Amino acid sequence: MPIIPAELVQANLSIEREEVQRRLLAGETLLGESADHLVEVVDVLKSYGEVLDAYSINLIYQAEHQFLNPFPIFKYLDGDLNPAKIWRHLNHDRINFEYAEYCQKAMFWHATGGMDAYFDSEAFAANCRRIIAAKSRRDPLLAILNPLFPGFLPEMIRSAATTHALGQFWRVMSDLFLDLAAAEADGRVRSIAAVVEFIKNGLVAAAANPIEYGVQIGGEHFWVLPPEAGLTFLVDVAVPYVEAVFLRGMPFLGTVSFNAQAQQISPDQAQFTYGALYADPLPSMGSGIPPSLLMQDMYRHLPERLHQWYRERTRGEGDVRVKICMSFQKSMFCVTNAAINGTMPHPLDSTDPEARAANAAYAGAWAQRLGIARTDCLEA
Amino acid sequence: MLLTCLLLIPFAGSLALLLWPGGPRPSRLRLITIAILVLQLGVSVAVALAFDTTQAGMQLQVRHAWVPGIGLDYALGVDGLSLPLVLINGALTLVSAVITRDIDKRPRIYFAMLLLISGAVNGAFLSENLLLFFLFYELELIPLWLLVSVWGGVNRAYAATKFLIFTAVSGMLILGAFLGLALLTGSVDFSLTPVLSDRLAMGGQLWLLGALLIGFGIKIPLVPLHNWLPDTHTQASTPVSVLLAGVLLKLGTYGMLRFGLQLFPEAWAKLAPVLAIWAAISVLYGSLAAIAQTDMKRMVAYSSVGHMGYVLLAAAAHTPVSMLGAVFQMVSHGLISALLFLLVGIVYRKTGTRDLEVLRGLLNPEKGLPFTGSLMIVAVMASAGLPGMAGFISEFLVFRGSIGVFPVATLLSMVGSGLTAVYFLLLVNRAFFGRLAITPPSADPVADGRLDVQLAPVAPRETIPAVALAAAVVVLGLVPSSLGRLSEVATTALAGITAIPGGLG
Amino acid sequence: MFAPPLPLPIQLAWLLPLYGFSGMVLSLPWAAGWFKRNGPRPAAYLNLLVTLLAVAHSSLILQQVWILGPQHLEFPWFQAADLNLRIGFDLSLTNLAALELVTTMSLICQVFALGYMDKEWSLARFFALVGFFEGAMSGVVLSSNLFMSYFLLEMLTLSTYLLVGFWYAQPLVVTAARDAFLTKRVGDVLLLMGVVALSAWAGSMEFNDLYAWAAQAREQQLISPLAGTLLGLGLIAGPMGKCAQFPMHLWLDEAMEGPNPASILRNSVVVTCGAIVLMKLMPIVALSPLATQVLLAVGSISAVGGALVALAQVDLKRAFSYSTTSYLGLVFIAIALQLPGIALLLLFAHGLARALQFMGVGSIIATTNCQDLTELGGLGTRMPATSMAFLLGSAGLLGLLPLGGFWCMGLMVESLRFDAPLFALVFLLTNLLAAANVTRVYRSVFLGPVRPKTKRAPEVNWWMALPMVSLSVLVVLLPWIMQRIDPVPGIAAFPLPVGLAVAGSGLLGLVIGSLVRLDQFWSRSTQPTLRVLQDLLAYDFYTPEIYKRTIVFLVASLARLTRWFDITVIKGLVDGVGRLSLTTAEGLKFSISGQLQSYVLTVVMAIVLLLVSLQVWRGAL
Repeated sequence: MPIIPAELVQANLSIEREEVQRRLLAGETLLGESADHLVEVVDVLKSYGEVLDAYSINLIYQAEHQFLNPFPIFKYLDGDLNPAKIWRHLNHDRINFEYAEYCQKAMFWHATGGMDAYFDSEAFAANCRRIIAAKSRRDPLLAILNPLFPGFLPEMIRSAATTHALGQFWRVMSDLFLDLAAAEADGRVRSIAAVVEFIKNGLVAAAANPIEYGVQIGGEHFWVLPPEAGLTFLVDVAVPYVEAVFLRGMPFLGTVSFNAQAQQISPDQAQFTYGALYADPLPSMGSGIPPSLLMQDMYRHLPERLHQWYRERTRGEGDVRVKICMSFQKSMFCVTNAAINGTMPHPLDSTDPEARAANAAYAGAWAQRLGIARTDCLEA
Repeated sequence: MLLTCLLLIPFAGSLALLLWPGGPRPSRLRLITIAILVLQLGVSVAVALAFDTTQAGMQLQVRHAWVPGIGLDYALGVDGLSLPLVLINGALTLVSAVITRDIDKRPRIYFAMLLLISGAVNGAFLSENLLLFFLFYELELIPLWLLVSVWGGVNRAYAATKFLIFTAVSGMLILGAFLGLALLTGSVDFSLTPVLSDRLAMGGQLWLLGALLIGFGIKIPLVPLHNWLPDTHTQASTPVSVLLAGVLLKLGTYGMLRFGLQLFPEAWAKLAPVLAIWAAISVLYGSLAAIAQTDMKRMVAYSSVGHMGYVLLAAAAHTPVSMLGAVFQMVSHGLISALLFLLVGIVYRKTGTRDLEVLRGLLNPEKGLPFTGSLMIVAVMASAGLPGMAGFISEFLVFRGSIGVFPVATLLSMVGSGLTAVYFLLLVNRAFFGRLAITPPSADPVADGRLDVQLAPVAPRETIPAVALAAAVVVLGLVPSSLGRLSEVATTALAGITAIPGGLG
Repeated sequence: MFAPPLPLPIQLAWLLPLYGFSGMVLSLPWAAGWFKRNGPRPAAYLNLLVTLLAVAHSSLILQQVWILGPQHLEFPWFQAADLNLRIGFDLSLTNLAALELVTTMSLICQVFALGYMDKEWSLARFFALVGFFEGAMSGVVLSSNLFMSYFLLEMLTLSTYLLVGFWYAQPLVVTAARDAFLTKRVGDVLLLMGVVALSAWAGSMEFNDLYAWAAQAREQQLISPLAGTLLGLGLIAGPMGKCAQFPMHLWLDEAMEGPNPASILRNSVVVTCGAIVLMKLMPIVALSPLATQVLLAVGSISAVGGALVALAQVDLKRAFSYSTTSYLGLVFIAIALQLPGIALLLLFAHGLARALQFMGVGSIIATTNCQDLTELGGLGTRMPATSMAFLLGSAGLLGLLPLGGFWCMGLMVESLRFDAPLFALVFLLTNLLAAANVTRVYRSVFLGPVRPKTKRAPEVNWWMALPMVSLSVLVVLLPWIMQRIDPVPGIAAFPLPVGLAVAGSGLLGLVIGSLVRLDQFWSRSTQPTLRVLQDLLAYDFYTPEIYKRTIVFLVASLARLTRWFDITVIKGLVDGVGRLSLTTAEGLKFSISGQLQSYVLTVVMAIVLLLVSLQVWRGAL
């Protein structure tokens, strides 16, 4: 029998459900406190913030300027058609906006939250009718297709609305993560606990931001998500986003068989555990792993401090994108941690037994889901 | 003169290494060895350039009487049969030296032995004298045995002893046959003149040929004489395995063609049907045994047993096409098995294991061995006889040349070719597909999916020899006429040898 | 008198397979990850470019051959003794039409793949493999000799393995890729046996020479009937594997683990290549009446069996991959009955329509992340391009509306109804079953209530929609194209009753498919007999199990037996003898140098003995 050197293969200790709940209720961070963790989380969030900035700009551009365009050939160029930019685009020397669309798709497909409920409302249907009527006057193709396939255009409008909402969400997150990096740089943030607190404050501050979306058709303005729908940042976009991307996710073709007879994928989307907090970082950059695109984007914006930190570990530059993925998973636990803290029903130091029970139930529900996530990244 | 250089360069180099003043660093010794081997390969290429492909007989001959009393002449020559093998020897010894890294134990002796083997193998391929061949044949064993027993794995003593015993028996049988030839014919003419019934009765021919067949059969190796090979391979280091599979096994097939078929054409024709069946058994046995292996290296070793069987099949049929196929198969097996051992060596060095129950997902692009894996796919496909690579044209020539003579044995051997795909796909799909891990799959898939694996990366320079070999395999597969031109005249002549006047009678 | 030089495009026809292969080579830098910062898309664009060149070049040649008549191009490759292997291209209209199909489909699929796999980081590897695929297929359809055809068919096997194994980290892919390769390989090895035997018997490998030899062999009884039969069986085994015919159809099901764009190519053009090779081999196969009978039996079983199994599948991709097996069964029947013209038309109609249908399937999977029919529903009003692709693709296959499938079926039934009415019935029955299958899938995917996984289903992006729409147009125009390819006797050369019979069978299937309760297709029946039948079909007549219990078991047992023999008998014997006779050597194990000394001593002694004995013996003389 071969003797496999222990340092070649190892499994980190993962924390169980009870421990997750305990940490949440005790006000401890899920991610272990260490200097390395701080560098990883802050710097990876900094590069993520830069990537999200590009994603956000592009998604909003797509939703506003490529609205119902059947051939959005230049949709990733943000309207800037200079030859050098087109060349870089062809040479794939660019941000992978496909990943932004992938997240949009996940959010749209999982169909949770207030915005999704609004999509099924009569008010939204009325908005759609107005927009389609205006569009059909200018576009004969749509005029023919709409009566034949009445569900087609409303579904595309819903998709565009999700795109725009995600763009608005990422605008906030991008600014928040870049602010965090600045705060760490000038010493205002010195620990993982401070990181979580910083993100929580940012989320809470933005919680009530309105989510609105309108399009221009022939110089006329049409609301898709009007102010009166009352959609807000935290409840209607952030929470569904966390649900769809962090928790549920979509099965990767590269690791899960879609074969119906093999029954590897649950028929109930609520049972999905393919999201960022559950995903295995090791196959990153392999085939059929969509988050590889994000890792590549963050790799292109990696701060030098973290890059150097990576170079000194394991394969150095060779497996840097897997290491980014591991750090990213840690940082996503911090963001989730902040979101949970921010939405805790009562203050943690409350002495009221009812409040404590409510908090325990809330933390318990989260622990239920996080207990089977990749908590093995938390202590390493 | 060129041929003498092919002996002189490695032997002198070997001596120079042993006598090199001071204590040179291993890396320095390696570079010197590489330089010597590049020179040797250059001379081999020069021989190929000087070689007239339209001539059937021996060329560039050198002949000096050495010990006339016993018929031992220093007689060298090269023909279309030996030339490709000399080239392969030059190339693969160079590869062996290049892939030798981190040699800490007696590097001086190691490299000297490597050169000694290369020289001895050149000598054996070029000898036109039976005794001279025997001397070189034996000379190569000692350094190889040393390479296994000093620089081998944990069980090296057992493997080395086994190797020693088997090859000693092989040598004795060959020597016995040569001596018997002298005794029975009453002359000490140890040249390569065919021994026909006017010189020696058929009974005597059959005995001598039988001894030679067993002697060389051990070396090739043929079932059931193969037992030393898997053990030796698993204990030998990668460079030695490359040399053993790529070059040294060819001594057996070369000897069988040169001293079996060419020396005893009549007896050969009589035994041919038996040999064909023997070949088919070897092919099937080797392939089936390979399927049951879980050690990658053992699997490749057994595949050698199977693939060398094709050469025997081709030799048994000895038609012009099959004989050319035999040369092709020797060359392509040399390249492909060397490539396979090299890649298995890389996997072993990085993961510490060759166990197929344990290795998984090595194609992982960031933390696995993706480039090695891609080359491995090329190598196993070449070995399984996929067109566009050397294995296919070799097997095609062997089968095409043999099917008219021995249809059943040929069809059975083709089944063996199909089985090659089975075990090599098992190897690739187990070790390289799936999620990366180097532990046995555990009962808990969740825990399995959380293993972090740290393998040292494969530096580009480590894969250069493998890339070169893979390129050679593809080039030979796409442009086979390059080798065909070199050997065709000689192999056609060799195939026609049983048809010489007074031959079959 | 000299013939005028051929136009340049024809002289350069040898480039045609090289376009695809060059696409592979061009992709390598990205596939190997040499560009660390930039993504893999340039590889895809380069592949598109060379495929576009291939389409243009093949169209030019088609045009010129139309005027000049068929051309033949030949180059020497390898010659030794009586063996002469050549590279040969037959530029006939049918071959070029097939080439046009291959290159166009490759182009359309590549565009589709850019949309379907837009989140794929290994895009360069995928396109490299598709390029390889395309190159091998282009060569197969143009090949004028059996050796080259075999050579390229094996390359197709390899690229199928690599494409199915594309998502190599996915557990089911690990076994699927292996099985796909091995099943095809069984066919290939049998075919190789036929090729090698034929090469030895007939000398030349050119198809025309082989036909002449076959005619001669038949007249002069050159080979025994047994040899002829074995040869015929060997030759049909290769195409059987390639066309996924019973019992070698297993791989196509497993190959569905691969990426959808590759499935499109496999289900349309790869199987077509296999059938074209069979068509070229048929005059030789016809030497053996038994082989022809086997071909007919295999075709019929595949046609009806495949259609039945397809009906019982809950997996979207598999429901149609079995249907591919079924249609290729029909093609086999046509080829075996020496109706190559109609077989070719059927191949074209099937290739285009099946590809379109599979594109529809691909866009459904991309939108819903799901290929389970029980979890789909209500997509019809929201996905215009996809619904149209699915509907037109399906209609193009069936004998119902006047699209490709209908005319082929009509011609076929007309040719068979007097000589082989039984096979005419097989055609009608297959048509009926296929119509029922398409209808029930359509109902469960596009009609019915919206289900959770189809609640939000926007139409796919334009990279996928555009190829679907373009191919839809082609499928609609196909009858007109078919009329041009085969103007005599014309695609409508059958009487009205035949047309009505074909349309009637299709209509009946449609009615059955729309009446049967959908649940019955997947929930297991409580009636024991029905349940047995259902399971039998759902699990593909238990073919994987049969394989496991026969061939796999046999090989595994033999391998184990060999290993046991190797360890117990041979190794035991060797070790035993070693212990007995070389106790000294055992002792020598303690010191390496001791061992060496003893060996050197032995060798030296042997040589001394030799010298002495020779001297003594010479002295005595």
